[in-house]
Amino acid sequence: MAPPVIQVRDLHKTYVVSEREPGIRAALTSLVRRKTEQVRAVDGISFELAPGEIVGFLGPNGAGKTTTLKMLSGLLHPTSGELAVLGYTPWKRERSFLRQITLVMGQRNQLVWDIPAFDSFELNRAIYRLSSADYRRTLDELSALLDLEPLLRKPVRNLSLGERMKCEVAAALLHRPQVVFLDEPTIGLDVTMQRRLRAFIAEYNRRYGATVLLTSHYMADVQALCRRVIVIHHGRILFDGDLSALVQRFTAHKTIVVQLGDCSDDLRAYGEVVSCEDGRATLRVPKAETARVTERLLADLPVIDLTVEDPPIEEVIERVFEQEATPPAAAGAA
Amino acid sequence: MRAFLELYTQQFKTTFAAMLQYRASLAIWIIGQVLEPLVYLVVWSVVSGSQGGQVGGFTTAEFAAYFLALMLVNHITYTWIMWEYEYRVREGSLSFALLRPVHPIHSDVADNVSSKVITLPGMLLVAALLALIFRPSVTVLPWALVAALPALALAFLLRFLLEWTLALAAFWTTRVSAFNQLYFVALLFLSGQIAPLSLMPAWIQTIASIFPFRWMISFPVELLLGRLTPREALVGFAAQAIWIALGLGLIRLVWRAGVRVYSAVGA
Amino acid sequence: MSLLRLLWIFFRVGVMGELAYRVNFIVRLFQSLLELGTALAGLAVVFAYTDNLGGWRPDEIVALVGVYFLVGGLIGLVIQPSMEAFIESVREGTLDFTLTKPEDAQLLVSLRDVEIWELIDVILGFGVLTVALVRLGEQVGAGQAAVFAVMLLAGAAIVYSFWLMLATLSFWFVRVENILVIFQSMYEAGRWPISLYPGWLRFGLTFLVPVAFAVTVPAEALTGRLDTTTLLGALALAALLLLGSRLFWRAGLRRYSGASA
Repeated sequence: MAPPVIQVRDLHKTYVVSEREPGIRAALTSLVRRKTEQVRAVDGISFELAPGEIVGFLGPNGAGKTTTLKMLSGLLHPTSGELAVLGYTPWKRERSFLRQITLVMGQRNQLVWDIPAFDSFELNRAIYRLSSADYRRTLDELSALLDLEPLLRKPVRNLSLGERMKCEVAAALLHRPQVVFLDEPTIGLDVTMQRRLRAFIAEYNRRYGATVLLTSHYMADVQALCRRVIVIHHGRILFDGDLSALVQRFTAHKTIVVQLGDCSDDLRAYGEVVSCEDGRATLRVPKAETARVTERLLADLPVIDLTVEDPPIEEVIERVFEQEATPPAAAGAA
Repeated sequence: MRAFLELYTQQFKTTFAAMLQYRASLAIWIIGQVLEPLVYLVVWSVVSGSQGGQVGGFTTAEFAAYFLALMLVNHITYTWIMWEYEYRVREGSLSFALLRPVHPIHSDVADNVSSKVITLPGMLLVAALLALIFRPSVTVLPWALVAALPALALAFLLRFLLEWTLALAAFWTTRVSAFNQLYFVALLFLSGQIAPLSLMPAWIQTIASIFPFRWMISFPVELLLGRLTPREALVGFAAQAIWIALGLGLIRLVWRAGVRVYSAVGA
Repeated sequence: MSLLRLLWIFFRVGVMGELAYRVNFIVRLFQSLLELGTALAGLAVVFAYTDNLGGWRPDEIVALVGVYFLVGGLIGLVIQPSMEAFIESVREGTLDFTLTKPEDAQLLVSLRDVEIWELIDVILGFGVLTVALVRLGEQVGAGQAAVFAVMLLAGAAIVYSFWLMLATLSFWFVRVENILVIFQSMYEAGRWPISLYPGWLRFGLTFLVPVAFAVTVPAEALTGRLDTTTLLGALALAALLLLGSRLFWRAGLRRYSGASA
């Protein structure tokens, strides 16, 4: 078995933040005495990534995802814990390490604004010391995958947001890094472009076996790309495993969608009514009750159609965040 | 009238708060405003010293007085409105001003005056320090000092009106910095900033009398230093009044034309 | 040598960014000529009343003005735009991109932006100083020219280190871009030989904001006024500041990446 590409053990990152009350008196006091608070951005996380995995790092804003990513790419020093990427200690920022990784940040550009993307690529070629042959080959492949041809000669500022993102991603991959860090890459993009970008990442991973760590708060990103998901909140890992297992473990309910003639019936006896519109009612029902409630609905009401679904993943995740570190499995289904 | 007072007070408070935030930039601004007249002060002191203590009717000490007074008068009349409008047009934030039921010039004036209120103590302190070092000599004429106050106010008004009108050039061109530069070069030579106007070659002095620049800066300075006769002072006031009247008329025309252009292009 | 290669690439990038705009060239040329004309006109007014300013003859001051424009152009060519871009990148978070590149961050940051139109100032400045030297009838021998070049380099190194140290402050403070304006304001004073200024101002223009080393010292080299102490001092200071700014930069980076001090 190949050694893990990324190894994280008991990683901590604590910031010291100064606090200040509003008002003039507090402002003057703060000159003399600084009140500080410790913020635990990352509070003891451990995980490993095997080569070629695509893993999604999921969490709300401020959860610690970006902080972790920055520590893995060498931008930030951890407060404590062990950390290895491709066998290197990231924060030492050794050249040979940096040549094998890349970072893509959504809504932040590394491309030079006024010139065509192609010229920015040339810049990266020089910085990464790529040979002509390698550079050409990679560029051609990326160009084909991302449909870059028409975009390369236009100044970057004339490109649309989606086109710019494609060029950004290409620029980041010119040196064929083995480890790809993506920080909210689809943020701000329209749905079509999001899909294209996801398809590209999946294809890139498949073709080159690069290990991809992706942070996002879009469920769709994670669903489309990652089999494995790490859920992080308040700097702690809440879940690390298959996406389907996540749904299994963190939901105690199922959703029953039943199509009736209208919404005049009072369905509260059957379960929690989430919504009812034009006769289409959505009910939330404890998992154990699902069969029984379905039976009763079919027996009592003129049901036109009925489906039993897992709750939307967003809801699941929200619930995960709400409950923090204690999964409801212990609390048991209601 | 009451509404205007309210507007000015509010703008004052806003600018005051904003200025306090950027204390460093204020200090830096003051340094910039002090340095140029200081440089010329030194240069002319050296010239005067090498020519036996006086040049063109100014002794070394009188040069010191001239440039220190110039420093203060320039600061009081200074505006940055030309860059402000270039920024606003570029960013599109001018649209907000256009939506308000008040002419934007009022908040601009209020903003300018409130900034000065904050920086003026600093400038006076620096001027006082420099006075200790360079030992200026001034002819103190009480009537002139009294007359200098309205002269300063009118000078400020004149300069503001003119520069505000020029700021509207931002509606027509993006090359505002080149345009501004032309203006500042003219100002430099024709308002007595490089040297007292009486030391400039005759042809420059003639040109200076046609342009409004000397009434913005040179005139109040000379008045403060007690170098003008009552007659010359009256002429100065008249010139200021005429130019202000012209300025007000010009502003109307240019503003209307400018707004038309701006809205045609799309805010 | 990767340094030269990078420099060339960044220069090309900067050039390409601007060449699309021919109108820019005309406007910038106009502005540079206007500024030069203003400086020379100011000189003319002053020299209508004297033939000697603090021991400097008119054409020697013209040469000084030439050096002023030449050096100003060099600073505006790479140092200023790169440092301004760097400060913004700290604020915008795009510095992270630079830090994940396998190349020395200080190098990448220092060459980031090239304002090629500043070459106009460099060329004009060079032209003015050549004309002034010709008028002076000065025979600028190879030795003197070499010393001038060395003093220019030393001055550039000192100014670069100064800007770098100021820009590095943005690792600690947020609104640093205003500080850079200080240099530009005080640089104006370099249009006249700093020996004219009173002691305290001379001190400030030498050791607080290195205008003297940027302009007056090379001009002194060119007009045969440079004494050995100043020469050696400039070289020593250049070396010292290059080292000091590098150390400060490293400290700033460590702070940025949250390394314990």
